[in-house]
Amino acid sequence: MLKNYLVIAFRHILKNRVYASINVLGLVVGLVVFLFGSLLVAYEESHDTMYEKYQRTFIVTSIFSNNASMSIKENDGIYTAAAPFIISDVPELDAVARIVGWEFLLSVEDNDYYQSIRFVDPSFMTIFDFEYIEGDSSALDDPTGLLMTQSSARKFFGNSPALGRLVTLDHKTSMHVAAVVKDLPPNTHFNSSIISSNEFQVVAPLAGLTRANGYDIAGNWNNLSSGDYTYVLIPEGKDRSWLQSKIDGVYESHVPERVKEFVAAFNTRALPEVNTLLWDSVGMPVMASIQILALMVLIVAIVNYTNLATAQSLGRAKEVGLRKTMGAGRQQLLVQFLIESVCIVLASMLIAFVMLEVIIPLFNMATGKGLKIEYLTVIPWLLVTTLLVGLVAGAYPAYLITKTTPIEALHESRNKGGGSLFRSIMLGVQFSISIFMLAIVLIVYLQNKKVFDASDIYPRSEIVTLKRLQIETIQQTLDTLRNELMAVPGIENVSYSSHVPFDGSNSGRHVTPELGNENKKFIIRQVQVDENFLTTYNTPLLAGRDLTSKNSSDYFVEGKTANVMLNELAISKLGLPSGEAAINQVFYDFASSREPSIFTVVGVFPDQNFEGFHNSVKPTIYMMPHLNATQRRGSAIQYASIRVKGVAMNDVLPQIEMHWKKLIPEYPIQVEFLDETFGNTAEVYDIFSQVLGGFAFIAFTLSMIGLFGLAAFIAESKTKEIGIRKVMGASVYQLVRLMIWQFSQPVVWALLVSLPLAYFASGMYTNFFVDRISMSWAIVIFAGVLAVALSWCVVAIHAIKIANTNPIGSLRYE
Amino acid sequence: MLKLHNLSKVYRTDEVETAALDSVNIEIAAGEFVAIMGPSGCGKSTLLNIIGMLDSPTSGQYLFADEDISNYSESRLSGIRKMNIGFIFQSFNLIDELTVAENIELALLYHKIPNRERKERVAAVMDKTGIAHRARHMPGQLSGGQQQRVAVARAVVGNQKLILADEPTGNLDSTHGQEVMHMLQGLNEEGTTIIMVTHSPSHADYARRTINLFDGHVVTEDIRAVG
Repeated sequence: MLKNYLVIAFRHILKNRVYASINVLGLVVGLVVFLFGSLLVAYEESHDTMYEKYQRTFIVTSIFSNNASMSIKENDGIYTAAAPFIISDVPELDAVARIVGWEFLLSVEDNDYYQSIRFVDPSFMTIFDFEYIEGDSSALDDPTGLLMTQSSARKFFGNSPALGRLVTLDHKTSMHVAAVVKDLPPNTHFNSSIISSNEFQVVAPLAGLTRANGYDIAGNWNNLSSGDYTYVLIPEGKDRSWLQSKIDGVYESHVPERVKEFVAAFNTRALPEVNTLLWDSVGMPVMASIQILALMVLIVAIVNYTNLATAQSLGRAKEVGLRKTMGAGRQQLLVQFLIESVCIVLASMLIAFVMLEVIIPLFNMATGKGLKIEYLTVIPWLLVTTLLVGLVAGAYPAYLITKTTPIEALHESRNKGGGSLFRSIMLGVQFSISIFMLAIVLIVYLQNKKVFDASDIYPRSEIVTLKRLQIETIQQTLDTLRNELMAVPGIENVSYSSHVPFDGSNSGRHVTPELGNENKKFIIRQVQVDENFLTTYNTPLLAGRDLTSKNSSDYFVEGKTANVMLNELAISKLGLPSGEAAINQVFYDFASSREPSIFTVVGVFPDQNFEGFHNSVKPTIYMMPHLNATQRRGSAIQYASIRVKGVAMNDVLPQIEMHWKKLIPEYPIQVEFLDETFGNTAEVYDIFSQVLGGFAFIAFTLSMIGLFGLAAFIAESKTKEIGIRKVMGASVYQLVRLMIWQFSQPVVWALLVSLPLAYFASGMYTNFFVDRISMSWAIVIFAGVLAVALSWCVVAIHAIKIANTNPIGSLRYE
Repeated sequence: MLKLHNLSKVYRTDEVETAALDSVNIEIAAGEFVAIMGPSGCGKSTLLNIIGMLDSPTSGQYLFADEDISNYSESRLSGIRKMNIGFIFQSFNLIDELTVAENIELALLYHKIPNRERKERVAAVMDKTGIAHRARHMPGQLSGGQQQRVAVARAVVGNQKLILADEPTGNLDSTHGQEVMHMLQGLNEEGTTIIMVTHSPSHADYARRTINLFDGHVVTEDIRAVG
């Protein structure tokens, strides 16, 4: 019996090769996307489970208050000063450890490397277990000890043993290698996430940082850096809510008032959540989106399958009629058809897995992730999915084909186009999804384009930056460096500054129009610039003048009076009516430990989005520090921006490097094109839109394929009607119009459902940006029109074909 | 009305060549009632399809109202067809999703006739064929005889001068068959030309002329006196 079913099914598939392969292909694509999406999400959400104590490990994060006007909601770390209070207030905790990331020039004999080092509290070693190749977990007990991964050790020392080897930090602090551990797998929060530059390589004790640059081990309430985690290990038997209540207590009793204005609360996050925290904190529901989109693609594939299978099953009415005449019961027939559909799904599933086995290594290679299919755990789940998809997809065709009486079934002309309501619903579902997808793709694409276009206010492609100039030795050569570079043909300008656009960092201070008036204070973003900054970055002056080194009162010294430039937003925040009126106006900052600085406005520049992307334009101040380090406090200049014009960047680079090497031989040059700086941050948006676009494109293509099948099906079931109408004298045009119209009713319903949904969903994406595309409703409607037009084309192809056939074929007499 | 001269129709498949019609010469004048008879496969339906311009001859001439239409394009044929020819099929060929009235109206839909006149003509023809009380019913709710009456109504609602009936009584019992034949006879008396394919000699008797086909040839023609 079963053999007979399978033989018939197999022959039927062979007979309808085109439909069957579209059918299987669609299902395969749907399954691949769904399985891949599920694997990806499962992978991203199951990081760090290799650590023995991961279930008890949490990090403490900061929730920003609303008036902090930060573009993200949550920072993944807390102020370093909080950890000692957690230790003293919550003695039940098994361990508390901070990470402070710092970049040093690490020298091994004559080789210098810029190396970011994680400085940690000693209890870090009790929270995380590593696989030691050399040394052991006591490595960081010694303040001069270093722990590094095998591949870093190989980079620094080649194949010789690393244990005990000496290195120096910034040419002065010496450390030794105390442990070498196996490289961490990709699925740990240390390595993953979007910030690829922060790989887990070298770890040192916090006391080492104190030795290297005088870092106060008690921490501070000033710097809140992303990536500087505070880990806590809770005791057995306690849970997150217990921890949260304890941490809330620490926040209440120890966080200073001024910090509370900025950070509204501390939050706790389980270790496996750290990996996806970035998405949560920027408010992009990436994981949920992937899951929903993947499921949508699968639904489209199932609907496709059902449509095509229904269309095909009509050709088997005779077989069913005969089987019934021979005495087959309805149940037996249902079982037959369901077995068939489950078999096809099973076959598709197998093909899907073959494809996944090809795709996943490629994906891992391209992204550095470590996805893999755990067959043992996946198989039961897989069988359930196969069965479910097979039954859902096969149920309707099976029902339809077996419900007819044998006479009707043998009499093919009867009852051909049955179940039109169901068909309309299928069509509606498919359309809703494809219109939705198309609208989302358009919105994301246009929004990203707008954001990217907005960055063109700066001459991105003409600027190359030199980074990490804050080192004392380099600071002393800045003047000479600039003079030498300016002599290079093709270099139009060189400017020093504390930040460059899109560099992702942020520095601000509280200012007020009235001395000491707290009620009027606001945070202003500060950028330290020199007199060449505006010209290098093509920034026009709206009022007043540029800063100049010829005027000694243009130089900024903390606690003194200085001339500065403001953007328009800052002007209006100060309550000044216009740029012109702001010239020579004075405002102040707040300082606890010194006299407040007094600022005089001498120039006004337009509001430009310095941070770019989803960030809002902020009140901004440009101030000019002394280049000469002895005349100012702290290191302000971190970047040189070199504007190149008229010649290719790559022709100028060797010259820049040559001058650098001559002047600053002890530090390697760090070159980054402004385009790259932009690209690094843009990656997040690119990934999001690519993932979204990919899913949507697949779903849309599948829908169109399904529509093609459905149109064929409808056209087929209308053959007799079309024949009659044709005999009555209908023209091809009239027939095509009629078919398109009949087809359009479910489409209209689909539009009513999908357009508002698409509008709502696109709002979720665009709301994330401050600079939003206008008329997103128009774009959504355009997507609807486009989808409808495309589908009309698909239907018209069939309609024209059918309308052109000779009606006597369809009106056969016997 | 129409004249077929040396008309042939050949069906070709890869291996076989079948002559469905072989040098057929027929002339039919306006107002005639012609029955075409012959065994299965003799070419009756092919002949009717060619006369109805649903199929084209392989060779020979087809003069319709003194116009040689053998080489006309499909759209021109369609134009001539819809103005002049009505069809009645053995299996009725009504559209299941349309009501009786709508099915009849279909024949006028592709003529340029205003909506109101259309409705009037449909109502008139339904009265004439005795199916007015079934106007809102679906074909599936009617008996075979009633369905065929709807088909007849549809065939004549456009004032077609020629009706082609392909075994109009083939799916009907004798009582209903008689009814339909009476109806066709009535139409013929009003001046409509009727060409009918049939297997039933008694129904062929309604016609004034019978053409017997065998293997694609016209073998005999019988002409009967009226009455």
